[in-house]
Formats: sequence, structure tokens, C-alpha cells
Amino acid sequence: MRRSTMFFVFTAINLVIMALLYIQSHISLSEHHILRKDIKEIVKTLHLTDMVLATDARYTRNPTQADLFSAFQDYPGSIEHFPTGSVIPPPDMDSMGKLIEIKTDGP
Amino acid sequence: MALEKHINILDYTLQSLLRRKFKNIGIIMVFTLVIFTVSSIIFLSYSLRQEAHLLLKNSPEIVVQKMRAGRHELISTWLMTEIRGIPGVSDVEPRYWGYYYDSGVKANYTILGIGASGLENNKVVSGRMPSPHEKNVAAIGRGIADVRVIKKDLGSILYLQAADNKWMNFNIVGIFESDSGIMTADLIVISKEDFKALVSMPDDTATDLAVHVSNEAEIPTVARKIKEQFPDSRPILRDEIIRTYDAVFGWRSGLIITLFMGALIAFIILAWDKATGLSAEEKQEIGILKAIGWETSDVLEMKFWEGLVISLTSFMCGIILAYIHIFFMGASLLAPALKGWSVIYPEFRLAPFIDFYQIAILMSLTVVPYIASTIIPSWKASITDPDIVMRG
Amino acid sequence: MIKTENVTKYFNRGNPDEVLAVNDVSIEVKEGDFAVFKGPSGSGKTTLLSLIGCMSRPTSGRVIVEDRDVSRLPERFMTEVRRNTFGFIFQQFHLIKGISVCDNVMLPVLPTDIKPSKLRKSAVRILENLGMSGRIDFPVQKLSGGEQQRTAIARALINNPDIILADEPTAHLDTHLSEEFLSIMRNLQQQGKTIVIATHDPLVYDKDYVSLIIEMRDGRVREIIRN
Repeated sequence: MRRSTMFFVFTAINLVIMALLYIQSHISLSEHHILRKDIKEIVKTLHLTDMVLATDARYTRNPTQADLFSAFQDYPGSIEHFPTGSVIPPPDMDSMGKLIEIKTDGP
Repeated sequence: MALEKHINILDYTLQSLLRRKFKNIGIIMVFTLVIFTVSSIIFLSYSLRQEAHLLLKNSPEIVVQKMRAGRHELISTWLMTEIRGIPGVSDVEPRYWGYYYDSGVKANYTILGIGASGLENNKVVSGRMPSPHEKNVAAIGRGIADVRVIKKDLGSILYLQAADNKWMNFNIVGIFESDSGIMTADLIVISKEDFKALVSMPDDTATDLAVHVSNEAEIPTVARKIKEQFPDSRPILRDEIIRTYDAVFGWRSGLIITLFMGALIAFIILAWDKATGLSAEEKQEIGILKAIGWETSDVLEMKFWEGLVISLTSFMCGIILAYIHIFFMGASLLAPALKGWSVIYPEFRLAPFIDFYQIAILMSLTVVPYIASTIIPSWKASITDPDIVMRG
Repeated sequence: MIKTENVTKYFNRGNPDEVLAVNDVSIEVKEGDFAVFKGPSGSGKTTLLSLIGCMSRPTSGRVIVEDRDVSRLPERFMTEVRRNTFGFIFQQFHLIKGISVCDNVMLPVLPTDIKPSKLRKSAVRILENLGMSGRIDFPVQKLSGGEQQRTAIARALINNPDIILADEPTAHLDTHLSEEFLSIMRNLQQQGKTIVIATHDPLVYDKDYVSLIIEMRDGRVREIIRN
């Protein structure tokens, strides 16, 4: 076989794998537990506001909620605290603040 | 057919690449690793972000906290009546929650006191939830059940130390199964009375208030009115919560910088090395090809194929491996970085959301510059007169 | 066939290391000639060869190949003339290492729309004529000097050129192999091709079938002998 043919076949195989993975992602999404009504119901019923991603410290468990242990308690997402802050940057405060103003400054 | 010429050149390019097998395989491996790492991070952060969007849409529209001298404090429940009076507010509910540090397993739990049970027919909850006034029963997350030295299950007893130094025992009547782990892994849900007793919370107070607003558009207005009426309160909007997670998982986040700097620099050095000069051998080869009758455009086409073969191969392999890593293997290589010091963490079975925009950007930031860095130095060599091979 | 009119070539013009390689040279090589550019190294014969072969352009003067002034042609057309008219044999052979004899021979005509199977057929035929039939898929770096020379000749012949240019072809060959090379060239001349060789090897220019000797020194033509 010509080398170019081998390269085209290799590329085609890769594309097919990528296409299959794409189809797989759709199938897997459609039955993924994250879409289940039950989990949304839990969030709603228990009034949960944060994901369990980092339980290593109290201030990283609920980055959107201030509490007595937060290093900076000025705003949801003000989570600067070493070493978390070096991994998770603070959110864009400006756009957060503006959102409220724009909507209320109307007629 | 007019394509034959290009295929001939591609044939020669591949032959050429095989001549320097080890060097080129090395480049492909490093390149694949770079693509793999970046696209793993893209897949992971985008998937988490989408999950956050989906799930946190169900959070309370506004959470009202009380501030005293800039610090968070328990909020009086009488505020609820006042807030209910604000037009647009459909309901206000108190939230009772806090943290509990278990020195035995060095883990933090989130404790939630509930006033109404609900979730009777929920399929991810085994058993049941504590009813509002029931004493000494709890529903816990699967994460806690698994992390305890003696694994807990339905019917076991959980002991928690109360603020007054007494131990309270809780019969485990419900478990949040791991499918809901991303939201519930570290939860302990008990009745509101038990919660108040556990943390010695005064009557008529709550941790904060969940305010429900039925009309999405009125949320900021309601938040502003709350802030005006109670200057010592702090309303947190659901939008802000979701945005916080957007920022947390933003793909430009510190995750990429910290985890990836090393590989990125190595790759830049590699590309730089390629871009700044051809080896004498490569220069001579270009000279020979030109002398025996290749046009400048043929030489450049060869170099284009060379860049394309290497970068496209690496890109496709990197993407495929990253997908397998993140969505089939639960991000096993990146998860430790996310978990940090955490003792409790949810099982990562991520939803395979794919952001084609970011993948396209990644492609244009890697494949295109690589091809350019292959072609540009050759371009200079290929426009010079071929008699250099006779004099050299 | 080939004519130069007052051709001058400077290298690094205007720089301190400026070199006047060819100085006001006017020569003519006729079709079917066996021409030799003779002279010591640095006499400008290689430069003259590369000017004729469309590998570089003269600083001034004209180079005419087959009644066409090639000295001012755009790059693309120069390449076309080079590919269609000339076959080159270099002093160092300049074969591409790591690929086979046959692939080397096919190289000049790869960027054309001819199927590789067809290219291979004509490459094999030329190699067989040169007595290389046992070495067709052999890696070039493992060939002996004489075999490398013959591979280089085969590569020069793949596009069926009218003119064959060779730069010091016998410099790395012993007497026996040099004679062999010359007899191949002689053969090609008898088939109607024009041969131009730049050399300072008496073995070459003393041959009685050499029809034109152009002796060069310091970039100028010293003597033209037509036999």
C-alpha cells in the first residue's frame, strides 16, 4: 500500500473514532444521572447552592456562600485563600454587580 | 488526475518523516501529550460547568444572609414576613446549615436541618428523609457513609458532638446514593430541631433565608428592595451562584496554568527550535530537491504535509485519549488536583458535554502554528538559488 | 544549443567578501557536443555550469538555452527549463539518504501528475541499463561509490533531458570507475544528448571524443579548443 493511502486510512480511522465518541457522548448524556429529575429535586428541596467539589476546607465547600470561616466575606465567590486561590481565581465582580443595576435602572 | 502530484509529494513526505523516525515519533508524543492535557482540562471544566448550570438552576432564586460589621451572622426569622411582603416574592423559607468537622476521619461534613421532608419518591435516596420534628434520625450522603472507619449504612448509628459537649446519636434512615454525589456526597440531613440543638442555635433565627421569586426578570429588583429595606442583609442571586461556578471552571483558570505550564513551555521550546532554523541536512535536502527540478511551491507543499501529518496525528490522538480519560476513566489523572486535601469527594462520572468552540480554538492554536513553524523556515531556504548545493 | 553572452556573476555583491566568480564569459556549446569546462578549482567552471543549468542567474549578460533567454525568466519557468532540459550529476552525488535507489531516481519527477507505478517502471528501466538491476530497492547509503555515481546518473536521466551537466564527476572515483563513467557519458552522447562536464581531471579532457574544451582561469575563458 502507498504510504499516503496508509496515512489517509489512519486519519479516516481517527475521524471514525471521533465520530463514534461523539455519538457515544450523546447516548451517554441522554441517560446520564445528572439529567435525572431526582437530583434536581434534591437541589430544590434542600435549597442547595453548591457542588461538592472541594470539601478540604469549610470555605471551599460553598464558594458561593459566605460563612463565619471565609477568609473574605464580601461577596459570593470571594474565595481567595491560599492555596485555593492559586487554583480557583475569583469571579469577575464587575459584571456581577452590573447585572443588577442594568435591570433595575429601567423606566 | 491532477491530484496525483500532491499525493506523490505526500508519499515522499511520509517517507522523509520515517527516515527520522525517532525524532518525529518523539515530536508526535510530546505534541499528543500537550493536546491530551489541554483537551482533558477543557473537557473536564466544560463538563463540570454544564453540570453546575443544569443543577444550580434549581437553587433558590435569592439567598438572603445577614451581615454584622461585615461578617456573616444568623438571620432573624421575623424578616421572613417582611420579605414576603415585597411584590414578586412568592415564598420565603429559612435554611439551617453549617459544617461539622469529624476529627476521626479528618473530614468536613455539611449539616442541613430541614423543616419539611419531601423527596418521598426520590429514586436516588435510599430509605427516607427525616420528618420535620423527628428526633435522632439522619439521611447522609454516600460519601460520608463510605468514608467512616466503620462503614455506615441504613440502620447504623452516627454520633455527632453537640455544641454543649454532649454526643448526639442519629439513626441513619436515608442515604443519598452516589448518582447524586456531586451535590450530596458530604451531606448530613437532620431535622431542624436536632440541628438547632446540635449547634445551639437560638430560636427565631436561621442560617439564612431562601427567597423564591416566580418571575425570573424580577429577581434583581427584589434583591435590590431587600438590600434597601435591610441594609445589613446580603442577597445572593442564583445568577451569581452560577457565574461563580463559571469562573471556577473557566478554562483559563489557574488549573491550566499550574498543571500545564511545564508541558506548555516544553512544547513552545520545541516549536521555537523548529521555527528558528533548519538543520544543515534539511537545508541541503531542499537544495537538492530544487536542483533536480522541484519548484519552490513543491518544496513548501512537502513542508506543509510534514506539519500537517505531525500536528493532525497528534491532535486527533490527543483528543481521543483525553475523551477516554475524562469520560471513561473519570478524569483519573486530573481528579487529584481538584480534590485537593478533601477526604470526601464525589465519584466523577462526568456528563460528556463537548464544547466544539473550545476544541476548534485549541486546534487553531496548535495545528495551525505548528504547520506555520514548519513552513516558514523552509520558505527562506527554498527561495534561494539551488546552486548552493553545488558550491556547498 | 547553449550560448552565453558576456556573462558575469558576482557573489555577495557589495559586501566585503564580494567574489567575482565568472567574468565576461561568452561561449557556445552545440547540440551533440561532448564539452568539458577545464580549469583549477576556483576558476569559475562550476559557477558557469550552474548558470547554464538555470540554478542561478547571472549578474549581467545573457544565458540562452535552446534559443530561449533564460537569464531573466521568473523562478517558475527557470525550474521548468531546469526540469525539462537538464540532468544534473553532482560532485558529491547528493543522493537523499535513507530512501532506496529507485526512490532517489524517481525524485525529480515526483511533483508531476504521473502515477508512481509508471515512474517506477521508467526508473527501473534506466537502472537496468546502467547495470543496477540488483540494487533497485537498496538503501542508497549502503551503496559503493561507483553505484552511487550510477544512481546519480540514473536520477539525471529520469526526465529524459537533452543536456547532461556534471560537476567534477570523477573527483571521488578511481581510474577504473572514472573510465566507466565516461563510457556511459559517451554512450549518452551517441544517443544524441549533449554532455557538459566541469572538471580538472586529465582523464576526462584528454579523451579523443571530447568535442569542445573550454579552459577557464580566474573566472575568464582562457582558451577554447574545438576538436
